[in-house]
Amino acid sequence: MNLWQRMTGSDLTREWTAFEARAAALPADHRAAWQQIKLHLTASHSDFTGRNLLPIADGALGLLEETAADGQSVREVLGDDIAGFCAALAGGEGAPSYRDRWRDQLNRNVARKLNRLGG
Amino acid sequence: MDGLTEMLKGTLEGCVLQIIGSEQTYGYAITRRLNELGFTDVVEGTVYTILVRLEKNGLVEVTKRPSGQGPPRKFYALNDAGRDELTTFWAKWDYVAARIDKLREGGT
Repeated sequence: MNLWQRMTGSDLTREWTAFEARAAALPADHRAAWQQIKLHLTASHSDFTGRNLLPIADGALGLLEETAADGQSVREVLGDDIAGFCAALAGGEGAPSYRDRWRDQLNRNVARKLNRLGG
Repeated sequence: MDGLTEMLKGTLEGCVLQIIGSEQTYGYAITRRLNELGFTDVVEGTVYTILVRLEKNGLVEVTKRPSGQGPPRKFYALNDAGRDELTTFWAKWDYVAARIDKLREGGT
């Protein structure tokens, strides 16, 4: 990744376009699940750039592709808990989200102010 | 049996290790095996998240093999670290199971 890509996220756009092309080849219900997975991942587990999601999204899409080829339904594959699936995946990657960063920042600020008061 | 999800948390990883330990296998076959055992709630997505974790923790060897249709399948086998982890899992299981049995029998 070069500086231009880091600043503009152009590499991300390219990766996601490739994902969408793969998703377009899936059967309708798998495609709908992919939309759900993207939504859950980006809403709750993305860092500021979303770069942490690339390997996770790639794997999830691979799972959908494999199971679609096997002729399994989305219900058989993911059950009814797509949010839980996404949390387990992102948690397994230890991917910190923007919420974690905000929480860290808040904790640091509070600790600093408390120190100042105490000192 | 239904509704076991909560209780299985934490043990499912050991179960998957055990299945991989007995033969090199892939996600769908692992899910099927667990379903046959009576863990009907377990879906392939659940097994997939466990496999991702095992791979990340360096407990399995992964090889890709072409499948008849669709993308190549990932096959999983235990490495030495995985075998150690499996031994530890069964030791922990024996410990917990023994204590809980004792509790049920009203011992101390």
